[in-house]
Amino acid sequence: MNFDFTEDQHEIKRTARDLLGSRSALAKVREAAEAHQYDEGLWKELVELGWPGIAIAEEHGGQGLGAVELAILAEELGYAVAASPFLATVLAAEAIGAGGTPEQQAKWLPGLASGEITGALGNADGLVPDAEAAAVIVLVDDSDPTRPARVIAREDADVTAVDAVDPTRRFARVQSDGGDALSDSAAGVDRALVAVSAELVGVSQRALEMTLAYVKDRKQFDTPVGAYQAVSHRCAQMLKDTEGARSATYFAAWAADAGVGGSVSLPEAAALAKAAASDGARDVTASAIQAHGGIGFTWEADVHWLYKRAQVDAALLGTSGKHRRRLAALLAARLVGAAA
Amino acid sequence: MDLTFSDSEAAFRDELRAWFESNDPGPSPEGEDESYAYRRDWQKRLADDRYAAVHWPSEYGGRGASITESAIFFEELGRARRPLPANVLGILLAGPTIMTFGTPEQKERYLPPILTAEEIWCQGFSEPDAGSDLAALKTKAVKEGDEWVVTGQKVWTSGAQYSKWCMLVARTDFDAPKHKGLTYFLMDMEQPGVQVRPLVQITGEPEFNELFIEGARIPDENVLGGVGNGWKVALTTLMNERSGLAFFLQVRLRQLLDELVEEAAERGLLDDPVVADKIGHLHMKAEILRLTAYRGLTTIEKYGTPGPEGSLTKWMWSETNQELAQFAADLLGADALTNGNRWAYELLRSRGNTIEGGTTEILKNIVAERVLGLPRLKGATA
Repeated sequence: MNFDFTEDQHEIKRTARDLLGSRSALAKVREAAEAHQYDEGLWKELVELGWPGIAIAEEHGGQGLGAVELAILAEELGYAVAASPFLATVLAAEAIGAGGTPEQQAKWLPGLASGEITGALGNADGLVPDAEAAAVIVLVDDSDPTRPARVIAREDADVTAVDAVDPTRRFARVQSDGGDALSDSAAGVDRALVAVSAELVGVSQRALEMTLAYVKDRKQFDTPVGAYQAVSHRCAQMLKDTEGARSATYFAAWAADAGVGGSVSLPEAAALAKAAASDGARDVTASAIQAHGGIGFTWEADVHWLYKRAQVDAALLGTSGKHRRRLAALLAARLVGAAA
Repeated sequence: MDLTFSDSEAAFRDELRAWFESNDPGPSPEGEDESYAYRRDWQKRLADDRYAAVHWPSEYGGRGASITESAIFFEELGRARRPLPANVLGILLAGPTIMTFGTPEQKERYLPPILTAEEIWCQGFSEPDAGSDLAALKTKAVKEGDEWVVTGQKVWTSGAQYSKWCMLVARTDFDAPKHKGLTYFLMDMEQPGVQVRPLVQITGEPEFNELFIEGARIPDENVLGGVGNGWKVALTTLMNERSGLAFFLQVRLRQLLDELVEEAAERGLLDDPVVADKIGHLHMKAEILRLTAYRGLTTIEKYGTPGPEGSLTKWMWSETNQELAQFAADLLGADALTNGNRWAYELLRSRGNTIEGGTTEILKNIVAERVLGLPRLKGATA
């Protein structure tokens, strides 16, 4: 039993933290959010580092690493609230890589791995990140659970840009009757869920750290506000939510790589991670605004980027409520054989 | 990252499963004394096969188990629905504290009967006016010749009525700052100066006791870790308390949740989306507890000190256990509100979970100060 990263994985995390700290500082995020435009230079740099292809098989031009390495990068990009099509692209790649037909994989993965094209993934009735610029869109239709997710070329989709509450990212509504079904839709979508959860963990971690720095510094009644238990206990709760979501997410990433056949079921682990990370990030980022007081409610402070990212990510591929009910059904099926 | 057990850990787990399978003490008898005797017998069986304290070094009758193996022991004990050994405080708290601070004579004298449950131990820390602020305790020990004479009152001493020995913290220097004037004693409970009175809790059961100490005598050789060093020794005991039972409790919580889901299925309630949502929520919290506890093990094994996870698991467990019991009341209605029903018992007993072994408020203080590095409010302390 070892619940820790390998030395290589720690190194990936450190490198990502350092790079994004200098290349995607919050001032940069603000610039991109206010201009409604991504920093092309940042994306180019991520592509040169091979990040979009980190979990894509080598035969398709990727680095051939796993869901754990991808989760590490997604977490760090969430921590940076990076304005980039990274998440959308790797979600599409994960779904096609784990659930796509050989033809779909051969057609799309090399381009996604090289950064030549970007991808997108989302719900038919939801906001799909970065769909407009994507070359390929994976669309999940929850209104009909028997209908597998479809891989749709951009030109076969009707894409309408949406000005979503999260200005650090581009969103759209997508409609299409076209595309080809994934051959293993569930596996593909579950792996995508792990990556979204990891981004949410990074968002929570950043919100916690920003809040700690603020409440240690801000004084009222001649005392740092972080000394008051009404504030410090809120911060303790933020840590609990963040670490709980982290435990579930790392577990799910490991389960995705460990594969089926073991005692761990990826569907259960992925639902667990998404439910925990969505609830956790919404609560933690809301607490971050509250603990910052009046300044936290202003456009000028940076905490709202985190709150907004958390809100939209939490809805992506199903809310925590959907995943809780999924967990209940899986548990009931295991215990009493009920197909609840 | 590898969340499967290593070959040796898996072998240990399988060995335990087989042992618990072939060693079944049967259901616990009715009656407090009978039930305690049953757990005492159970511990003897465990000790005979060196399973009573697997984390103890083999020279003291343990197996020198790693922290992960010890966690596996408690998980399997819970999974097999076997009871905790009678002398659980001796095994988890007194034993390790004596191993850390005891003289060779103390180790030789006290450790063997802890293991076999021949001598039961209780914990004399909390007082009516010293709960979360433990260092404010007032029980007084005064040196008279080769003996210490002790006067004071202790509370929440579980198992005191069966105990031969008490881990007692008393004030020996009234002029020193409050953390400095304390001494840790090994006190014989079988003497006229020590009176045990049952403390009836909201379940109607006397699980705990009050201890009235009036001129009790403790020989000087029963000081543990040196006069004036009691705070440090007591902290060692408390650190053990917060890590040892986590895995047993975690499995018990899991079993309760599974049983509730089965009950809900029998009553045809699983299709209700509100019920499903709540079950999913509790399942999530139970899994997060389990996974966070395992993460904590890795941190200790790899880096030697507990990480932030270690401060969170007791808080997670107690909160989830309460939520579970409350949900059972919603789900099962009148049955769960009728005395004698196990869920009714859980509904009442679980209220103690967020108080015993460190209140949630104190745990939050510890997280805020020691993990998050937040400033301490004047006068308040973890």
